[in-house]
Amino acid sequence: MTIDPKYFELIQAEIDGEIDDAGKAELENFLAESEEGRAVYEELETLCRSLDSMPSLNPPSHLRHMLLNQAPVKAPTQPSPNLLQRLFSGPLLGYVGVFAAGVALTLALLDSGQISRGAFDDVTGLVGTLADAGRIAPEHGTISIDKSEVAGTVTLRSTGPLLIVDFDLSARQPVEIVAGYSDKTIWFNGFAQLESTGTSIAAETGAVTVRMDGKRRYAVYLNNPGMRPATIDLRFMANDEVIHEAQLSFSGTE
Amino acid sequence: MSEPNDTKLMERCSNGDRQAFEMLLARYEKPVFNAAYRMLNSPDDARDVTQTVFLKVYEHLDQYDPKYRFFSWIYRITLNESINWLKKTNRLDALEGDTADSASGPEQEASNQQLSEGMQAALMTISPDYRAVIVLKHLLGCSYQEISEVLEIPEKKVKSRLYTARQLLQQMLTERGLH
Repeated sequence: MTIDPKYFELIQAEIDGEIDDAGKAELENFLAESEEGRAVYEELETLCRSLDSMPSLNPPSHLRHMLLNQAPVKAPTQPSPNLLQRLFSGPLLGYVGVFAAGVALTLALLDSGQISRGAFDDVTGLVGTLADAGRIAPEHGTISIDKSEVAGTVTLRSTGPLLIVDFDLSARQPVEIVAGYSDKTIWFNGFAQLESTGTSIAAETGAVTVRMDGKRRYAVYLNNPGMRPATIDLRFMANDEVIHEAQLSFSGTE
Repeated sequence: MSEPNDTKLMERCSNGDRQAFEMLLARYEKPVFNAAYRMLNSPDDARDVTQTVFLKVYEHLDQYDPKYRFFSWIYRITLNESINWLKKTNRLDALEGDTADSASGPEQEASNQQLSEGMQAALMTISPDYRAVIVLKHLLGCSYQEISEVLEIPEKKVKSRLYTARQLLQQMLTERGLH
């Protein structure tokens, strides 16, 4: 026996709480007489219960601050975010999107005794391959920061002897981030960001200091020639005060 | 004192009231994130889409027409941005069943978490249009009329799309022994 399609509609409307009195009465009569109809009803009801009970996830804790930091302080009637904001805020997030969009990526190496020319080539190639960072440069950990001054994430990745500290942050005011490493065999290898302004960097033995404001995505490259276990201590500062401290660790490679 | 409604908050946002934007964000951050997550099946992608949605809301405050409800506007942006994301990542086509494999097996049936994972995997096998009505109905709790408003399609179409989407999900879950 086949069920008249109108009863399917009534069954669905009843389960969804959208049936009128006349429809309800008609459905009740139908279900009282149709075993097949009752089976369809139960099946759909079970499915809908399962769908209703799918858990709700909490957004990342830093997301709200990131979003607030992106909104201009004084909202004009027609705010016009700059290109960087658009690129970073959307699904193009990440280095691959920028390459795809043909936007120039700045690869800056500092004048530091720690840097070799050979390393420069390595880093240049690596930045291009960050398109598929998760596969090519696996993650070793991510920390979140959720402060009113700055919010976002910092992820530690590695590929070969290179450690990549990947910053995805949004700051409402100038902040300074110090990435320190006690292993003296590790040296600063390079820096990449998605626009040539807005972030400055200083490197010394055992620490790299980045100063930024606004929404920024950039990476600091450290050479860890022995591929030994390493710890990166991150210190976030605003108005000369430490606002957050965190640590990222690399467990080493045999 | 009652909370200001969405329209009032939007008016205040247009006048540069940052606190109003913060209130809208507090109200809609979680539903937007979850809708995007169910559409995309990735918390990272959902985070990026959520950012885009709120930035678009902020950018286009002047385009909001108060005769329509705010939630229908922001949910429409969310679903459109999710579908755009799927297009950009070449994931617009429904996935074949292999993504749901992890949820099969008789002993797994008992677990709510596995059922939930199986349901999410099944959701990813239906087209984004069908997925969207399921998300609106079951995750965001919209009525037929509200779904019609968000998707800008007639209510009759909402009902038929919802029915087909559920049939497809039922079929997928039955095949995997989850229902």
